[in-house]
Amino acid sequence: MELEVRGLTKTFGRVTAVRDVSFTAPAGKVTGLLGPNGSGKTTTLRIALGLVRPSAGAALIGGVCYAGLARPRRAVGAVLDTAGFHPGRRARDHLRVLAAASGVSGERVDEVLGQVGLASSAERRVRGFSLGMRQRLGLAAALLGDPQLLVLDEPANGLDPAGVAWLRGLLRDLADRGRTIVVASHGLAEVSQTVDHVVILSAGRLRFAGPLAELGTGGGELESAFLKLTEAPA
Amino acid sequence: MTGQATALSSEFRKITSIRGPWLLLAAGPLIVVAGISGLVESGGNVHDPATQSQALAHVGLAAIITLVFGILAMAGEYRHGTITDSYLSFPGRRQVIGAKLAVYGLAGAAAGLVSSALALAVTAAWWSAKGSALHLSAAGTWQTLAGGVAANVGFAVVGVGVGALVRNLAAAIAAALAWIALVEGIVGQLVGSGLARWLPLHASEALDRSALLGASQLLPQWAGALVLLGYAAVFAAVAVVTTLRRDVT
Repeated sequence: MELEVRGLTKTFGRVTAVRDVSFTAPAGKVTGLLGPNGSGKTTTLRIALGLVRPSAGAALIGGVCYAGLARPRRAVGAVLDTAGFHPGRRARDHLRVLAAASGVSGERVDEVLGQVGLASSAERRVRGFSLGMRQRLGLAAALLGDPQLLVLDEPANGLDPAGVAWLRGLLRDLADRGRTIVVASHGLAEVSQTVDHVVILSAGRLRFAGPLAELGTGGGELESAFLKLTEAPA
Repeated sequence: MTGQATALSSEFRKITSIRGPWLLLAAGPLIVVAGISGLVESGGNVHDPATQSQALAHVGLAAIITLVFGILAMAGEYRHGTITDSYLSFPGRRQVIGAKLAVYGLAGAAAGLVSSALALAVTAAWWSAKGSALHLSAAGTWQTLAGGVAANVGFAVVGVGVGALVRNLAAAIAAALAWIALVEGIVGQLVGSGLARWLPLHASEALDRSALLGASQLLPQWAGALVLLGYAAVFAAVAVVTTLRRDVT
């Protein structure tokens, strides 16, 4: 189930956050959505998830817009930030709320808690969670419905080096099983080792979309290509 | 399950997995107990049937708590950012509001019933302590309690609508309390009592038969119920319409 973004434009008042952006994130690949802060990555993802209305264009998931998906949580899993938790709710209850909303069983809740390494913290209230634990809980929520498309915004944020390595393995494994993975990030180091495809945005415009190999293979080459593509026009 | 049924079950899990709303809701019955005791201690005549109605009318006064409780439903989700997950589960969005109206309305009814039971018990205790007796058959006893429960439900539903509309939790609660404490009284004086009785607090006063505003003209109880229901429906409709198209950033 691929994500297809077509001619996407979004203006907030007088600010154009995204301008005529088109790209495709293919199934079975990890696509990195890269760009400096404020380049339109998060807006693009929020439009793809039906949270923000595009001013023009569309984002299609397996050919339909998010709101048209029959069972959205089974089709798409998303981690947009590490803030979307009620501080007084226990980790397991947070997932149970979402499980009830998507018709997922209670066993699956414990399964994903184990998968992200939070089994021993399941009964703790989220207010006591570190940033990395919130990131893991968000990931557990995204994995709950075993989705075809996984959309992650800065997923390595708050994870320790071991956590980043674990995340990289998880994403690779999911992609190898045919899932579509889209990872937005401004950090290049962890991305260059994970992604197959790269989409580079700068100031709301598309600068590059294609296989990582076309940009260069090593991390250093990605960095120089990135900086060249995203530098402000003179 | 249909979308609305899963939304209801998800909403039920949301509210049963946090403590805040229940602590807030528990304040309602406490206000009722304190209010009735205050009425007696300040020299209320327990031999006057009107005092008994006045005591039981505290059930309706406590609806101010279910109003804030309802506001928490939507504005609380915006406050904590959980609204994103709710809309990802139900991109149609109207199921989320529908489920909240139902669950919070029901919880409002439960709060009203608990308040009513406590009001009867506390009134009976005070009345016997003062050498009188509670008259369940007295005119207006059940009418006052039924109106009080209905006000608790109506205000919870209005609160859900206000929270969906205003979204900023602190602003929504401040606006609602300001309306109750101040604004409706002023507007009532400006438009005159003939029109003022159609305002929400006046309508709820007709419904729960409390005499908070000291208004000279009120609607009959059944009409108060209909008017409050109308306000609840309008707020819910406005909440749905404004929520469907709004960007969640």
